[in-house]
Amino acid sequence: MSATPVAAPEGLRVLRAAFVWGLLLALAVGWLGADFAFSQATLVATYAIAGLGVVIIVGQAGQIVLGQGALVALGAYAQTLLVQAGVAPLLALPLAATVGALGGVLASLPAGRLGGLYFGMSTLAFALIVEEALVRWESLTHGAAGLMVPGFGLAGWQADTPLAQAAVSIVVLLIALALAARLLRSRLGRAWRAVREDEAAADACGIAPGAAKLRAFIVGGSLSALGGSLYAHWIGFISPEQFGLVFSFELLMLAFIGGARRLSGAVWGALVVVAIPQAIAVLRDTLPGDWARSAGLELVLFGAIIVAVVLLRPQGLASGPRSG
Amino acid sequence: MKRLRRLALALFAALAGTSLHAADVAGVSAREIVVGHISDLSGPIAMLGTPVRDGMLMRFDEANAAGGVHGRRLRLAVEDAGYDPKRGVLAARKLVQRDKAFAFIATMGTPVVMATMPVVLEAGRLHLFPFSPHKATYEPLHPLKFQNFAPYQDYMEAATRHMVQAGGYRRTCLLYQDDDYGLEVMKGVETGLERLGQTLFERTGYKRGATDLSSQVARLRAAECDLVVLATVVRETVAAMAEARRIGWKVDMLVTASGYSAQTHELGGDAVEGLYGVSVLPHPYAEGANSQLADWIERYRARFGAAPNVWSVMGYSLADMFVRTAEATGRDLTPEAFARTLERLEFTRDYFGSPSYRFSADDHLGNRHGRLAQIRNGRWELITDYLR
Amino acid sequence: MLSFLQVLSSGIAIGCVYGLVALSFVLVFKATETVSFMQGDLLMLGGFAGLALHLAAGWPLALAAVGAVLAVALLGAGLERVALRRAIGQPHLVAVLLTFGLGMMMRGGVASVPAAAQDMYRLPFAADTLGIGPLVLAASHVWVVLATVVLVLLLALFFRHTRAGLALRACSEDARVAALMGVPVARMHTLAWALGAGLAAVAGLLLAPITFVHLNMGLIALKAFPAAVLGGLTSLPGALAGGLFLGVVEALAGLVLPEGAKDVVPYVLLMAALLLFPQGLAAGRAGGGGR
Repeated sequence: MSATPVAAPEGLRVLRAAFVWGLLLALAVGWLGADFAFSQATLVATYAIAGLGVVIIVGQAGQIVLGQGALVALGAYAQTLLVQAGVAPLLALPLAATVGALGGVLASLPAGRLGGLYFGMSTLAFALIVEEALVRWESLTHGAAGLMVPGFGLAGWQADTPLAQAAVSIVVLLIALALAARLLRSRLGRAWRAVREDEAAADACGIAPGAAKLRAFIVGGSLSALGGSLYAHWIGFISPEQFGLVFSFELLMLAFIGGARRLSGAVWGALVVVAIPQAIAVLRDTLPGDWARSAGLELVLFGAIIVAVVLLRPQGLASGPRSG
Repeated sequence: MKRLRRLALALFAALAGTSLHAADVAGVSAREIVVGHISDLSGPIAMLGTPVRDGMLMRFDEANAAGGVHGRRLRLAVEDAGYDPKRGVLAARKLVQRDKAFAFIATMGTPVVMATMPVVLEAGRLHLFPFSPHKATYEPLHPLKFQNFAPYQDYMEAATRHMVQAGGYRRTCLLYQDDDYGLEVMKGVETGLERLGQTLFERTGYKRGATDLSSQVARLRAAECDLVVLATVVRETVAAMAEARRIGWKVDMLVTASGYSAQTHELGGDAVEGLYGVSVLPHPYAEGANSQLADWIERYRARFGAAPNVWSVMGYSLADMFVRTAEATGRDLTPEAFARTLERLEFTRDYFGSPSYRFSADDHLGNRHGRLAQIRNGRWELITDYLR
Repeated sequence: MLSFLQVLSSGIAIGCVYGLVALSFVLVFKATETVSFMQGDLLMLGGFAGLALHLAAGWPLALAAVGAVLAVALLGAGLERVALRRAIGQPHLVAVLLTFGLGMMMRGGVASVPAAAQDMYRLPFAADTLGIGPLVLAASHVWVVLATVVLVLLLALFFRHTRAGLALRACSEDARVAALMGVPVARMHTLAWALGAGLAAVAGLLLAPITFVHLNMGLIALKAFPAAVLGGLTSLPGALAGGLFLGVVEALAGLVLPEGAKDVVPYVLLMAALLLFPQGLAAGRAGGGGR
C-alpha cells in the first residue's frame, strides 16, 4: 500500500515503456515515412489523452459513460474560441480543460440518482443535448457550418510540421499520464477503485461514492477536453457532427482494447483505434484486383477486431458488480 | 566503343532528363502520374462516393488505353475517409508521402476537405474540385487550389430569382437540412429574394437523417407558402413532396442540385411529378441520349455493372479535365505548370450537356451556374439554359 | 385542427416503428441482460434482405418479407450461439461494444455490395393514400400501425399461451429459478435473440416505404433507445408505449415548438424521465413515462 516499494519497479517500467514506444515510432518512421508516421503519432497521442478520460471514469471509477465525445467537443470548442479571441494556445489549454471539467460535473449530476446502465444512458442523452446546443448556438459556434481553428503556436513558433505536432502531443500526453498516475496513487484513486468494486462496501468504509464519482468526472472531463483542444488544432476545422456518437464509441473501444484498468491502456488503445484503419488501408493496397475497391472491407475488418478483442479478453474493462 | 559511348550518352540523357523534371516532381515518374482521391465510401455520402470514383476510374482507363498522357499512365489512388476528418488527415499524409500523389482530386465532405486541404497545399500538391460547398475551397486565391462546383449560394440565388419572377410567387419558404449545406442554400435564397424586394416568408429545418417531415410540411402549409425551396437530399425531397401531396397541398417546390437525381423520381414516383430542380450537370438518361452519350452509358455499364448517374458523369468530367490539362501542359509536368495551364484552358460544353468551365489567374472557381429542370412524366426535363 | 390530426397520424406511425425497435431491444435485454447496439443494423439488414429476395431473387413481395425476417432471426440466433452468449454475466459495456462491433461488420458487409452502397431502394408496396373524411392517411403509415398491432397481439399470445413463451418469461424474471425448474436457459437466450433480431427486421421492412432502404437507415435506432428507456427498459408494453409517446411528442413538437426543438425532445424527455423516475423505471412500471 505504501508508495516506497512501488517506486523502484516504477522507474524501470517507465524506462521499458519509453524504449518500447521509441522503437515503435522508429519502426513506423522507417516503414511509413517520417511525415505519415509523425501524423499517426500525433493523433495516437491526442486520442490517448482523450482516452485517459475514459480510462479514469470507466476503468477506475467503474461508471458507464456513452457520451464522452461531448466532453471532447467542449474542449475543442473552448480552445478554438479562446485562441480565436487572442488567447495564446498554450494558455488556452488549461482553460479548455477547465471547461471540460465543468462539463464533466454536469454529465455526472444524474449519478446521484441513477446507477449503472441507467446512468450510462443519461450520459448518452447528455452528449446528444450538447451536440444539439453546439448546432443551435450559432452566434458563438457558427452552428453546423463549423469553425476554422488557428494553428498551435508559441511566441512566434508555429507547430505546423508533423514532427512539431507529434512533439507537442507527446509532451502533453506525458504530463497527463504523470498527473493521472499521481492521482491513482492518492486517496482519490483508492476511493475510485473501492467504488468500482463495491459501492455499498465503499460507503460503509467511509468513502462517499457520490463525491468520488463527481471527481472522476472532473478529472476525466478535463483530460478528454484537453485531448479535444489538441485535436482541434491538428484537424484545423471543427463541427458538431465530428464529436457524435461514433467518436464516443471510438473512445470506449480505445479504453476497452487497451485495457481500462491501466493508464497505459489508453495509449495502446489509441494506437489500435487510430492506426489499425490506416494499417488496413496500407495492406489493402497489396491486395489483388477488385478487392481493393470494396468499401465495406475496412468496416468489416475493424468490426472484427473489436469483436475479437472483446471476446478474447472481456476483462479489458473494469468488472464491477452490475447495478440497474 | 562507339556503342558504349552511345549507351553512356543515352544513360546520361535519361538521368539528366529524369532529374530535370520527373524525379523532382512528386507523383510524376517517367511512366506514371499518381492522382490521389480521398473519398467517402462508407459514411453519410457514400452514395456519391462510389459513382464519382468509378467515373474517374473510367476516364483514366480510357486515357491509359490511348497510350497515357505523354506516355505516362494515370493511376488513381483512392482512400476512404468515411466523412471522418481524422481519417482524412491520415489518408492525405499517406497519399502525399507514400503514394506521392501529384494532385488531389474530388475530396469528399466538408470536414474532410477542411482538414486535408492544408496538408495537401503545404506539400505543394494540387487541390482540385473538392465536394464541399465551403468558400475556402477557392477563396482566398491560392495558386494550387481550384473548384468547379457551382456554390449553392450563387446558383440558388439565380434560380430563386428566376422562379419567383417567372412564376409570380409571393410567399417563398424554405425547408432545409440544418448543416453547412442548408445554411449555404439559405443565404442564396435570401439574397435572391432580397434583390426582388421580397423576404423569406417562413423557414423550417430538419436534422440529417430525420425520418418524418410531416410536422415541417404542416408548418409550411400553415404559413400558406406558394413556393417551397428544398435544401434537401434525395430522400427528404421525396418525403417532403409526398407529404405535401398526401395532405392535398398543391404547392410548387424547387430543390437544389443535391435533389436533382434520377433516384428522386425513381423513389418518389407520382408524388414528385412537377417538382422543379436545379441541375449543374444533366442526368445521363439512356432513353433519348445522343449517340456519344449512349455509347458512354453502354461502356460504363459494361465496366461497372451498374447504370451511371449524375455523379458518375461528374467524376468522369473531373477526370477528363485533369487529363486534358495534363496533356496541354506538356511533358514537363509540374503542379505550377499544370495550374497555369488550367487557368488558360476553356472547357466547352460537351455531349453530357455540362456547363462550360473556365478558370483564370484571379478566379479559381470554374462555374457558378445551374439551370432549371422539372420532373415531367417520370424524368427530369431541362427547362432553361444555365442561368446567369 | 386537420393539420394537427395529419401530423398526429404520422407521429403514431413513426412511433410504432420506434416502439417495435424498442420492443426488440427490451426483449433481448430482459432475457439476456445484454444491451444491444446493433438493433439498427439488424433493421437495415432486414430491409436489404427483403430487397434482395424480392428484386434479385424474384420472390413475391410477401414471401420475400417473411423470408427476410426469418433470415435475420436466424442470424440473431446464430450470433447468440457464436459470440453474444459470451457477454452474459460480463459488465454491460462488454455487450455494448460487442454488439457495436458486430453491427459495424454488418454495415461493412452490406457496403461491400456495390449496388447496396450507392443506391437507395423502395420496396414496391404501399405508395397510396387512404381518405377518411377530410383526413388523408398514407397507406405506408396504416400498414405500420396494423402490422404493429398484429405483432403485439401475436407476441402477447406467445408469451401467455405457448410453452416457449412461458419459459422465456420465466427465464427473464429469474434465470436461476427458471433453470432449477427445468427451463433450458441457454436455448431461451437463443430464442430471445432470434425474436429480437426478427422484430428489428420487421421494423426495417415497415420503414422501407417511409424512408426507403439504404445503408444508414439503422440510425432510427438512436430514437428507439430513449423509447425503450422511457418505457422502463424491462417492460414490453412499456417499450411500445414509450415508442408511441416519443413519436407523437416529436411530431407535435415539430408543429408547435420553435425551430429545432423537435430534435432534442427525445433526449430531453429521456433525461427528464431518468431523473424523475429512477425507481419507477427500474421497477418496470408499464409505460412509466408513456402515459
